[in-house]
Amino acid sequence: MALLEIKNLTFKYNGGKDNALEKVNLTVNEGEFVVICGESGCGKSTLLKMLKKQLAPAGEKTGEILYDGVEVDGLQERVSVAEIGYVMQNPDNQIVTDKVWHELAFGLESMGEKTDVIRRKVAEVSGFFGINSWYRKKTSELSGGQKQLVNLASIMVMNPRLLILDEPTSQLDPIGAMEFISTLQKINIELGMTVILVEHRLEDVFPIADKVVVMDKSNILMTDTPTNIGANLRKISTHKMNLAMPTAVRIFGQLDCDCACPITIKEGKNFLKRNFENKIRSIEVQTETNENKNVALEISEGYFRYERETPDVLNNLSLKVYENEFMCILGGNGSGKTTTLKILSGLKKLYKGKLRIWGKKIKEYKGTELYKNNISFLPQNPQTLFVRSTVIEDLMEVVEILKFDKEESQKLIDEISEKLEISHLHNQHPYDLSGGEQQKVAFAKILLTRPKIILLDEPTKGMDAYSKKSLAEIIYKLKSEGMTICMVTHDIEFAGEFADRCCMFFDGQIVSSAPPIEFFSTNTYYTTSAMRISRGFFDNSITTSMVVRLCKSNNRKSN
Amino acid sequence: MGGANSMKYFHNCHPVVMFSYLIGVIFITMFTMNPIFIGISFLCSISFTFMLFGAKETVKSLLLAMPMIIIIALTNPLFVHKGETVLFFLNNNPMTLEAMIYGLFAALMLVSVFYWFKCYNRLMTSDKFIYLFGQVIPKLALMLSMMLNFVPKFIKQFKAVDESQKAMGIYSGSSYTDKIKCKFRVLSSLITWSLENSIETADSMKARGYGLKGRTSYSVFPWKTSDKLLMSYFGVMIIIVTVGLFTGYADFDYYPKITRMSFEIIPILLYFGGFILMFTSTIMEIKENMLWHYLKSKI
Repeated sequence: MALLEIKNLTFKYNGGKDNALEKVNLTVNEGEFVVICGESGCGKSTLLKMLKKQLAPAGEKTGEILYDGVEVDGLQERVSVAEIGYVMQNPDNQIVTDKVWHELAFGLESMGEKTDVIRRKVAEVSGFFGINSWYRKKTSELSGGQKQLVNLASIMVMNPRLLILDEPTSQLDPIGAMEFISTLQKINIELGMTVILVEHRLEDVFPIADKVVVMDKSNILMTDTPTNIGANLRKISTHKMNLAMPTAVRIFGQLDCDCACPITIKEGKNFLKRNFENKIRSIEVQTETNENKNVALEISEGYFRYERETPDVLNNLSLKVYENEFMCILGGNGSGKTTTLKILSGLKKLYKGKLRIWGKKIKEYKGTELYKNNISFLPQNPQTLFVRSTVIEDLMEVVEILKFDKEESQKLIDEISEKLEISHLHNQHPYDLSGGEQQKVAFAKILLTRPKIILLDEPTKGMDAYSKKSLAEIIYKLKSEGMTICMVTHDIEFAGEFADRCCMFFDGQIVSSAPPIEFFSTNTYYTTSAMRISRGFFDNSITTSMVVRLCKSNNRKSN
Repeated sequence: MGGANSMKYFHNCHPVVMFSYLIGVIFITMFTMNPIFIGISFLCSISFTFMLFGAKETVKSLLLAMPMIIIIALTNPLFVHKGETVLFFLNNNPMTLEAMIYGLFAALMLVSVFYWFKCYNRLMTSDKFIYLFGQVIPKLALMLSMMLNFVPKFIKQFKAVDESQKAMGIYSGSSYTDKIKCKFRVLSSLITWSLENSIETADSMKARGYGLKGRTSYSVFPWKTSDKLLMSYFGVMIIIVTVGLFTGYADFDYYPKITRMSFEIIPILLYFGGFILMFTSTIMEIKENMLWHYLKSKI
């Protein structure tokens, strides 16, 4: 019998206009790894919350959710608490207590277990997840990846039969995310745990999923194995979800071959070799030179450290950002990327070296000069920009403080709101908006200062493929208006597809800098999936569309 | 934490033992004015501080404490004019030897209590404190733990919002009132932020069964045999010394005339008991150090 059976589930939030879920049917068998994907706001999270009685939102519900043959609303509290584990998106907010050991014990304490039982179970789980060495640490001192691992372990300690995860890696850096996903795979394979995972980044999870559910506006579009999903999505090639698929699936989706859909990089490589010739190996691209351009930002031989005793974060850093270019700074965690943005925006100061903005030393900018009509910084968490209770108040505040006159400022707000399509959000509380909307409002807020240079700190974090595309559109629009954009990111795919120039940050300095094609085609490890798939077969094809174009311009192999 | 505390005996013993010992010693010190007891407490508190903090820190704090003791001893006669032995007159007020000596010992007592508390602070980490409270009021303990988790998060977010606002050029207004206004706005936005996030925390608690009947309270502090032994030893000693003090064997008067020290058997036993009790902490640490050196030499 199936562990979880959802039959004709329809749900409407109290006070909501439309159904959040409509006629959803899904069966999950014991031991399956199910991945649910879909655009933001399509009802994935609502569906997950309905599965756990303690988290179920208030509203009208019809249809059935059977867990082990029993309707979830009718499950005993203790059964629902212990057997259905739920991990949420934000690593910080789920942590309740101040010590790792206490966090691990929290659920068992609630269940009323005795001290020696708790000790044994906590020990077991710490061993399995490799938490031993930081078992006694404060939770506030952990990295994001470690926090999320503690959240997972504190659920696993209760010995659940069904593990539900709602975008658990969206706030983690790529390495933390990869480790988390491989831990999930370990749980699924070694313990036979049933896993239901909602994810945006499908590249890593597609290969390990038994079943993929694609959701589309409150109902399920299709449920199948990853390979079949790829084949089926190709039939509706205009569908948005095609954007979110792993690179191999996307390449397959734009070509019409009659073979199984490739999922991994390896399969993608084989797919190309088996189906196509490679007489035409590369695409001609012209690269602009920056020689005659103005330099917008320049750091020369800069050094920075946070405290006197700590090592240098920036170490002989030299960096140039040219006028009207979109530059991406890439690099691992703690390599000094975000620090560089803070230096560029004047929040921190170099202790040695020079920073010039439009050729003028930063010291020479007085008062608001630096921030008015000049530089704007969009922080990683857009929420940190909001201090008022409605969007419009937040926007008004900027123009008031920068002392634009009334008429002009009203015009400016209208103009920018229209450009970013946020006019309809003006009267809402900024916290009530979705992640993508929050970012747009944050963009609007910094655009009100009429900047010439925009600094972005990991704007694609936690975004689905579609929101990323609309972010890229905004960036292009701004660029066409003459703005200079410098962005720090972990998102290789995004940089490869949209940037004018990429810089690799390592150990406090920039080790390489080149246009994306040159940059990624010379990298072996740190490169886009499309490049890894096509390496050795095509040259310098770093994006999906380039691979597809090359495939189309070559002959098909007859096999 | 970690390094500084890890090889300390008192850090590794059960929180109840450590707590009762230090509170017992502090109370005994506070409720007696017997100069011998105060002297013993003073010396023992300093030796224990030395064991926990090392020589540099101890000497540094003593350099601060000594002038304070002298000042209190010298100024006490200005306020208190009791006592028989008049040294001289100041503004027609008698300055007495008794008042000065009283001041000296009162200051020593204060300083010893300060040193015991210094040790207490080093040893009583947040999780031990929460554990002790959890034994009595589990809900309060959980609340404390949640608060300790929340505070660093709040500070981090405050800094982030502060920086974001700065980079918008919003802070660059020159006047102080502007700056204060801005900080206030940041704070008020943080309240919304914390309410918003606490919803998720509450969900996470509910999802893990908070609110079910019969919640237990887990701790990482087991009662070892050595803890039980030490606890009974401390218990007995504290009771003996307290009872001895209350029965008046070690009573001591400064006014109008300083009592002559009695060297009868019972007071001497009492002083000896007090010394043993207060010096045990130092002994335990010395023992731990020696054991460590011994083990190391074996490797």
